[in-house]
Amino acid sequence: MDAVRARYPEHFTRWSRQRLMMAGIAAALFALLLFGMGELGFFDGTLLTGMGRLFEIAGLMLPPDPGSWAHARAYGMALIETVAIALLGTLSAAVLALPVGLLAARNVTAQRVVRFFARRSLDTIRSVDILIWALIWINVVGLGPFAGALAIMTADIGSFGKLFSEAIEAADRKPVEGIASTGGSHLMGIRFGVLPEVFPVLASQVLYYFESNTRSATIIGIVGAGGIGLHLAEAIRTLELQQTSFIILMILVTVAAIDVVSSQLRFAMIGRRAGIGK
Amino acid sequence: MLRLEGVTKSFGGKHAVDGVSLVVPAGQMVGVIGRSGAGKSTLLRMINRLGDPTSGRILFGDTDVTALRGRPLRAWRARCAMIFQQFNLAGRLDVLTNVMMGRAFHMPATRALLKMWSDDEKAQALSALESLDMARMAGQRAETLSGGQQQRVAIARALIQQPDIVLADEPIASLDPRNTKVVMDALQHINRHLGITVMCNLHSLDLARGYCDRLIGMAGGRVVFDDVPAALTEATARELYGLEAGEVMGHGVPSPVSLPAGLQPGFAAAGS
Repeated sequence: MDAVRARYPEHFTRWSRQRLMMAGIAAALFALLLFGMGELGFFDGTLLTGMGRLFEIAGLMLPPDPGSWAHARAYGMALIETVAIALLGTLSAAVLALPVGLLAARNVTAQRVVRFFARRSLDTIRSVDILIWALIWINVVGLGPFAGALAIMTADIGSFGKLFSEAIEAADRKPVEGIASTGGSHLMGIRFGVLPEVFPVLASQVLYYFESNTRSATIIGIVGAGGIGLHLAEAIRTLELQQTSFIILMILVTVAAIDVVSSQLRFAMIGRRAGIGK
Repeated sequence: MLRLEGVTKSFGGKHAVDGVSLVVPAGQMVGVIGRSGAGKSTLLRMINRLGDPTSGRILFGDTDVTALRGRPLRAWRARCAMIFQQFNLAGRLDVLTNVMMGRAFHMPATRALLKMWSDDEKAQALSALESLDMARMAGQRAETLSGGQQQRVAIARALIQQPDIVLADEPIASLDPRNTKVVMDALQHINRHLGITVMCNLHSLDLARGYCDRLIGMAGGRVVFDDVPAALTEATARELYGLEAGEVMGHGVPSPVSLPAGLQPGFAAAGS
């Protein structure tokens, strides 16, 4: 053993420079966290008194109750609207993002200038949050679900464009080369070499975003872009806490259901490939 | 007739292929042999123009292949089919669609992109698959097939290109012995019965001897042997492959013995 140690001393030091550095960085980050908490008043007692109030509110929320059958119906319709906003927004974003994603992918678009502009415009869209898009679209098309769907669409074109272009760049080069070697055009290579290979990845990204957009759609409802969010905001404002908890429960169940269905769909698409291919 | 004139390919100052000149008459079955890294793959890929030579010319008949661009280049690739070690099929597409890529150049773009193959094209693809005993699998996804089956699909794709020459880059390196024979027999059939020139990179000297009319031995990017298989002596074979053992030793033992330098003279003598 000593002989091996003598030959490779770098693998035997207990406190390597790398390890010390990692420990130092961790300690510095922890100190920063404590400092920040102090600055925000975490330690001067407001948290403790606030905690009591939180339990009080939670108590008032029980049991969840819509108040009346008419309310329950209205909430149900609004929830369906929320899911519809999420679905429409996600799908239209995916359709519009695919060509941009192709333009932004290195292995598809050789022209640097085109790629540069495709990427920068995606970055620009992505840097504006979904809530801000909702406020913008409300000004353009007025209050309602249409503005909500547009907000999700615009916000997600940016994310999808980037995710798609990365998935496309990570695609195996070999099928494309196979098609190129027969005299097939670049377009044929993309159509038959790239797209079929990346399709399951893109589809699973779209499904995941549909899930997360159902949650986002409740938020944009609060600013007036349609769906359950408006009812939720109103219930909180008027201190109808039992209704609030009822709505939150409805959202929870819906999101969980979508989560289960879409993750099963995702596994069905990717799992099949992992099961048989190498 | 394929003619290479001083074809060189360098990557960052290093010559992967170094001044290769040779003539391959139509209808020959040529085996390109040598150890890994000898430049065999790079050479074959340049003939199909998947790689561009740094200098030198590749001619087929009167066509200067190295000067081709755009559609004429794709026309050349359609005449010069390529078979890869890793098959290079689209795994998620069915076998028939993969084979149909062999007609990609000849189809109008819109029809091809919509997968609207004509009955005639489908018949061609299926009979190519049939000749390789693969027609039953036409509807299956390529990725569900075994390596040997995938390589036969790739050969069918090459066949319906109706090529003048078939380049096979280590076609059997990922296959078991039984599939090796199936694939090599198929290449031999293409050569003998369809009269298509076949150029095949091979690791295995025995296979190359058994199947090819002519062997081209490469080492360090240069052609060090070019003759009928019978002319390949023990000494030359050892020079081609023995080098590999030398290289391994040179890297594995941290001793100051400078093997590469010691090997250079033998190398040069064989090269000239």
